[in-house]
Amino acid sequence: MKATRKTRRAARRLFRVCQVDGRPDAERVRLVTQRVAGSGRRGTLAILGDFSRLARLDRDGHRAIVESATPLPDGLRINLLRDLARVYGQGLETSFEVNPRLIGGMRIRVGSDVYDASVRAKLAALEARL
Amino acid sequence: MANLVQEIEAQIAGAKAAAARQSVGVIREIGDGVAKVEGLDDVMLNEMLDFGQGITGLALSLEETEVGVIVLGDYTQLAEGDEVRATGKLLQVPVGKGLLGRVVNTLGEPLDGKGPISSELAYPVEKLAPGIIRRRPVGQPVQTGIMLVDAMIPIGRGQRELIIGDRSTGKTTICIDTIISQARLNAAAAAAGDASYRPLYSIYVAIGQKQSTIARIIGVLEEAGAMPYTIILASPASDSATSQYLAPFAGAAMGEWFMDHGMDALIVYDDLSKHAVAYRQVSLVLKRPSGREAYPGDVFYLHSRLLERAARVGEKYGNGSLTALPIIETQSGDVSAYIPTNVISITDGQIFLETDLFYQGVRPAISVGISVSRVGSAAQLKAMKQVAGQLKGDLAQFRELAAFAQFGSELDAATQAKIDRGKRVVELFKQGQYSPIQVEVQVGVIWAVQNGYVDDVPVERIKEFQTEWTEFLTTRKAAVLQKIAQERALSPDLIAELKAAADQFKQTWKK
Repeated sequence: MKATRKTRRAARRLFRVCQVDGRPDAERVRLVTQRVAGSGRRGTLAILGDFSRLARLDRDGHRAIVESATPLPDGLRINLLRDLARVYGQGLETSFEVNPRLIGGMRIRVGSDVYDASVRAKLAALEARL
Repeated sequence: MANLVQEIEAQIAGAKAAAARQSVGVIREIGDGVAKVEGLDDVMLNEMLDFGQGITGLALSLEETEVGVIVLGDYTQLAEGDEVRATGKLLQVPVGKGLLGRVVNTLGEPLDGKGPISSELAYPVEKLAPGIIRRRPVGQPVQTGIMLVDAMIPIGRGQRELIIGDRSTGKTTICIDTIISQARLNAAAAAAGDASYRPLYSIYVAIGQKQSTIARIIGVLEEAGAMPYTIILASPASDSATSQYLAPFAGAAMGEWFMDHGMDALIVYDDLSKHAVAYRQVSLVLKRPSGREAYPGDVFYLHSRLLERAARVGEKYGNGSLTALPIIETQSGDVSAYIPTNVISITDGQIFLETDLFYQGVRPAISVGISVSRVGSAAQLKAMKQVAGQLKGDLAQFRELAAFAQFGSELDAATQAKIDRGKRVVELFKQGQYSPIQVEVQVGVIWAVQNGYVDDVPVERIKEFQTEWTEFLTTRKAAVLQKIAQERALSPDLIAELKAAADQFKQTWKK
């Protein structure tokens, strides 16, 4: 079944029910997913689709992805974690990835915020300017 | 040298690669020029978004988890999962005199192959209309050069006058005539070194029209020498609905620059029916709730906020003006459809064109009875008001009597005289396209009609009489015309001079 306004509203309400202290509680999310999937009602798949999208957006908003051309030294990683916690608060899930396509520098993504200090981005900006 | 190397090394060691925060989103869904983007948490309404590859978007609906974006450019190059960046800037277009004589698209990019546009300044496409305090009443005329309009439905600078009618009734022609008339007046004033004349610049916004039609209009304007005073903003039928939706707003921004800098401008929106259709398409793809005729609920606001930007501002605010001539195409003369009624209620009057009149050979096919100008009479030249004051009522009376006379009953002398005069006036107001008439000539011609100089001229020879009388005035009585233009009113002396000229002409006129 296609997502409708009704299924989206239901998914939003379920997602709100799962919140504890402003964040979704893993146990509640699991329980809601099982109950909805097992209910066999019409629109279940659409509701679960929207529900998983909301969960994914929430996870992305609390997850930092740090990309660099080469592996980062431990000292720099600790500094980065400290700075990210200062800006975005505690509870940020941070992962470090190596991406040689960046050529050099670093790119950090937290939700829709991107800090791009990679050589590739600088070259792209230079190309656009020229 | 060693010190210099050390210095450079120190600079490199101290250099910091600062990275500013950017708001980035990901395309979740794309089609029909509209993209749904996830992310972009801090994006503003109407903010420009960068899709990369030189493609720009505009954030049009901000929802809880996603942003509805209209893509300006080739959306087929974009795919689901592509990144979109917020720019922090509202959509803006270049403005200024550098655009005059150019043909541009919705984003102000040149389409005429005459090189880049020399404009440093840009204005936001969406801008609040001038408020009450900044405005002043309309008081200066826009001489359209169309005798019927200038005499009976006068348009003032800062007015919004709707041109409404069925397909192929001459709506665009009226606007092109007006643009040509302005260009001629501007050029004449510049040549005469008349510093008191305020030139009127024109902007022609083509929305959803055929490319061939736009090319023909450009050709006509070039031939008439009107392009140096005109900007053409083209968003043809092959453009995306999003471009067509934004085109009149971009044109209004270009016109506002003239108004803000103490100049006068005229903007033609050709046409707002197609604009409403483009907006309906965008709204439906954005999944906004639809209302009457499937138009979205804010289609009235769409046109009201656009047309409210036309204004005459006070002297403290530059004394400029922006006159709007929106065009609406009706279906089988139905003015009570949704979009026509909306625009009629927003504008300061309308010029209604009728198919029947057009095919009867009455061109411009303006229906005088239901065409009105609510504010223009204040701006009308006093001389014109003196000669044409009664004309509208007389013509309306003639139409009524003419319908009555069709039954073949015998008429009294007074009624017959009214019908005869009416027939001559109708004939007189027939005017070829792209041939605007100077206002002083119009005054001279209408004065002659009102004072019975054409009563003995057969109806089929009225045009001949008009041509020769005009020629007589312009070649042999140029001083009288000059006086009308200078004094702007018919004084008793001037009337006596006109009378003498008319008597002299009548002696030479071959019956």
